[in-house]
Amino acid sequence: MLVSTCRTALAVLSRRPYICQSCLQRARQLPLTSAVRPKPTSARALQSDTKPPPPNDDTPFRKLLKDAAKKKRKEDRASSGSPKVSHCDRDARLSKWELTVGIEIHAELNTARKLFSQAATSVNEEPNSHVALFDVAFPGSQPHFQGETLIPALRAALALNCDIQYKSSFDRKHYFYQDQPAGYQITQYYEPFARDGSITLYPHDFPAGASPANGPVTIGIKQVQMEQDTAKTVHQPPSTHLLDFNRVSHPLIEIITLPQIHHPTTAAVCVRKIQSLLKAVNSVTAGMEMGGLRADVNVSVRERSGQSTEQSQSYHGVTGLGQRTEIKNLASVKAVEDAIIAERDRQIELLENGGVVEGETRGWTLGSKTTRRLRGKEGEIDYRYMPDPDIAPVIVGRDLVDHLRDTLPILSDDRVSTLVDDKDYKLTSKDASTLLSLDDGERLDYYYDVVKHLQTAFADQPAILARTGKAAGNWVLMELGSLLKTEDWSETRVPSDQLASIIAHVLRKQITGRTAKLLLSTKFKGDARAVEQIIADEDMLLRPLSRQEYLDLAQSLLEEKADMVKVIVEKQQHKKVKWFVGQMMARSAEGTVEPGPAEAVLRELLHLPPADEQ
Amino acid sequence: MDEFGMGSHNTHSCFGPTKVMPRGGGGGGGEAEGGEIRSAGGSSGGSAVAVATEQCWAALGTDTGGSVRLPAAYTGVVGFKPSYGLLSRWGVIAYANSLDTVGILGSDVERVEGVFDTLDTYDPQDPTSLPPSTRSRLASRTKTSSSLKIGIPLDYSISSLDPAVRTTWLHSLAALQARGHTLHPVRLPTTQHALSAYYVIAPAEASSNLAKYDGVRYGSRAAGVDGTPESVLFAKTRDHGLGPEVQRRILLGAFSLSAQAIDNYFIQAQKVRRLVQQDFDRVFAAPNRLVVGEQEPADEGVDVLLCPTAPVIAPLLEEVENQDPIHAYMNDVFTVPASLAGLPAISVPASIQGDDAGAAGRSAGMQIIAQYGDDRLVLDVAKQLVEAT
Repeated sequence: MLVSTCRTALAVLSRRPYICQSCLQRARQLPLTSAVRPKPTSARALQSDTKPPPPNDDTPFRKLLKDAAKKKRKEDRASSGSPKVSHCDRDARLSKWELTVGIEIHAELNTARKLFSQAATSVNEEPNSHVALFDVAFPGSQPHFQGETLIPALRAALALNCDIQYKSSFDRKHYFYQDQPAGYQITQYYEPFARDGSITLYPHDFPAGASPANGPVTIGIKQVQMEQDTAKTVHQPPSTHLLDFNRVSHPLIEIITLPQIHHPTTAAVCVRKIQSLLKAVNSVTAGMEMGGLRADVNVSVRERSGQSTEQSQSYHGVTGLGQRTEIKNLASVKAVEDAIIAERDRQIELLENGGVVEGETRGWTLGSKTTRRLRGKEGEIDYRYMPDPDIAPVIVGRDLVDHLRDTLPILSDDRVSTLVDDKDYKLTSKDASTLLSLDDGERLDYYYDVVKHLQTAFADQPAILARTGKAAGNWVLMELGSLLKTEDWSETRVPSDQLASIIAHVLRKQITGRTAKLLLSTKFKGDARAVEQIIADEDMLLRPLSRQEYLDLAQSLLEEKADMVKVIVEKQQHKKVKWFVGQMMARSAEGTVEPGPAEAVLRELLHLPPADEQ
Repeated sequence: MDEFGMGSHNTHSCFGPTKVMPRGGGGGGGEAEGGEIRSAGGSSGGSAVAVATEQCWAALGTDTGGSVRLPAAYTGVVGFKPSYGLLSRWGVIAYANSLDTVGILGSDVERVEGVFDTLDTYDPQDPTSLPPSTRSRLASRTKTSSSLKIGIPLDYSISSLDPAVRTTWLHSLAALQARGHTLHPVRLPTTQHALSAYYVIAPAEASSNLAKYDGVRYGSRAAGVDGTPESVLFAKTRDHGLGPEVQRRILLGAFSLSAQAIDNYFIQAQKVRRLVQQDFDRVFAAPNRLVVGEQEPADEGVDVLLCPTAPVIAPLLEEVENQDPIHAYMNDVFTVPASLAGLPAISVPASIQGDDAGAAGRSAGMQIIAQYGDDRLVLDVAKQLVEAT
């Protein structure tokens, strides 16, 4: 059964980029195919009775979001009078029922070639231009495992603290669908390459105030496995679907968490954190919005009272769970959260009314109120997992794993904990994570430089030294940040040593805060003079008033505004002293009068008790 | 050829069965002459007939469970199945990847050996092609053939063995003994389970490999609308495009891989397969170079095995055309064990001895099997057997 005449052609083609039209032309002319000579159409077509699948990857995302928001506004207006479930009811239900969620994430790996052929991976190339014979399941073609695709997968698994298995193997998962050319997907069912990892969510990972627990939440990762992606289907209304095989066999990793998530926000944050972790180790470049990362969630509820019914389910060691449903293909972090909330409410509603949750597969579209059923138990597919006999097991050496672990980039959690805990920095965790996320890490590098300059300046003054980290954080994030507004970051606008100089002057009380801000903005606008120069030129140094000068100024003011004095002293409206303070400051050169000493002097002159005793 | 390589009599083909016409009847004519049309064996029956009728010098086939050796036996030519992984499978339409082996048919052993010498090379396109390092390890073991130990697998002496075949077997053994080799009876107890294991594993792999034939990217498709909400998009195309024996094996294979059945069928069959291979390793003097562990040659142990290729001589075509499939599968009982273990095996024609009038002038296939990698030894003993009988 040899396709011998095509053999040389195939051998030659396998060294070229994969555009097979010439081979197809030749094949059409061979006697082998002359018995059934097809019409020379450029597209192969199939007629079908089936309904087209719901359009989930063709309408632009922006449009979906807008439609969803419009719909929500309309519904809110309509139902504003009678909320179906009041907040009290909802909280009561949630205290009775506990939610459990497990997540499966599929992420497209950042590799040059596909998983089992030498065709190049692609994102939005011309359709069917990066397709090897094996990708399109041409008879007689065989898989060739591309070892380099393992490297980003290993990095991702190490970032998730997994154990890398010495031996792993590939299996075939069988199902029929037009986007699966071979009728099976090659995945790792029996022996995945990584197991037993974890991911920790810190309070700073959550949006402000939304963290359900007080401390960090650790979620176990059951396994990470490699598998092939499917073809892309493009729906051309009304009834045509075009298949693009560029994406077939693009390497994916599937990350399966344990069902240890008990809050919708936790699930959403988990997905977001895994996505940023994968990007940080350069395993994945396309995020959810590009379709490079997809999430499926498994949702179940159970009563908190802990009665384990006969029907309680368990999954990989986590026991006592309710029946779960699976929600597939969630394409954004928001969708994850909304879909889980909707499904949880649906299940609770069902169970409270005496119903039974069925193990179904459900779908979610943006803007829906509930999930919708895609497939019931009777439509459940038996995948008939079979080890692939053409693919040898993958053996990963310890030396490779150790090397990758040593060269992994520092992950954001470690950086944040350094910035928070280390005495050199002592930032809040919120500030730390903001600093990390700005400008691809350049802002962080700039911050480190500023701190280094300050530490040199105050090496012999431990009291001030302790405040340098926090002060620098404030100036780099808030002050400089507000000047930048929407402009792109550039570290040369205000060189780090210059900012350090400004901060040092403030810390030494040589200039007031206001002067410092002015200095910063002057430098930002492009003044080429050094900070010290500007201070000297503009005479910005704080000349603190001597006590006598304070007394003189205060005295003259009190005499001038005698009626005010009378109000304060006789009517005991002591707080109006502040007005005098303000006047003193207004009448002096900017920054020379400090409110604290000024008030103290005024009170002294007015024979009032000091401020803190009132 | 049987469609997709599935069949034992070359009858499952949309082009019609391959027929072996009786000799000396004016060249063809079939039933009218009162001669008997016989089965060519399968599934590479077409290649065997082409060689037997001298239409070509040699031919290629694929041997998954005996598909090259069986038609060689039925048509009276030489059919050789090399060790698994020596000849590249790039381009071979896969039936069962772990069993498929490209085989060679020819009218004598020298021709077969010539073709083998050319094709026996590493091909990087085939991921299961034996790497050069292993090939050189195998080559380092050459056996001089002055006095070999010939094993007689007693478990192949089944009750349904045709007496003519049995007599020919004994005659062949005697002939080799006369040339100075020694005979040793051996036991291969898992032989009786090998056929069942094969007919679980091969259809399982076939159900997987044939899932790609859906008419979407290549091939023809059924006319009109295909696919209904209740079934898959290409159900009609597959129904029309795949023959009944192919459909039978796909369904059988899908069943043995299904969640309910996999432990009892597929997994068990794989375990039996391992036992079959261990049986052979126990019996051969040479160690199996693919198994990590003992590499020392055993003192007891034989060099090759000699047994019939098939339990019967070529049956009449009309008997087998409407035969129950299980009976058809029985033809493979002697060829399947060597396939499961990936061992080199060859079938050479031996003239039928004895006074059985019906079988006079005809031949039965004699099979020589050796340890993994001993392909040259198999060919050498085959040459000696042909000379001696």
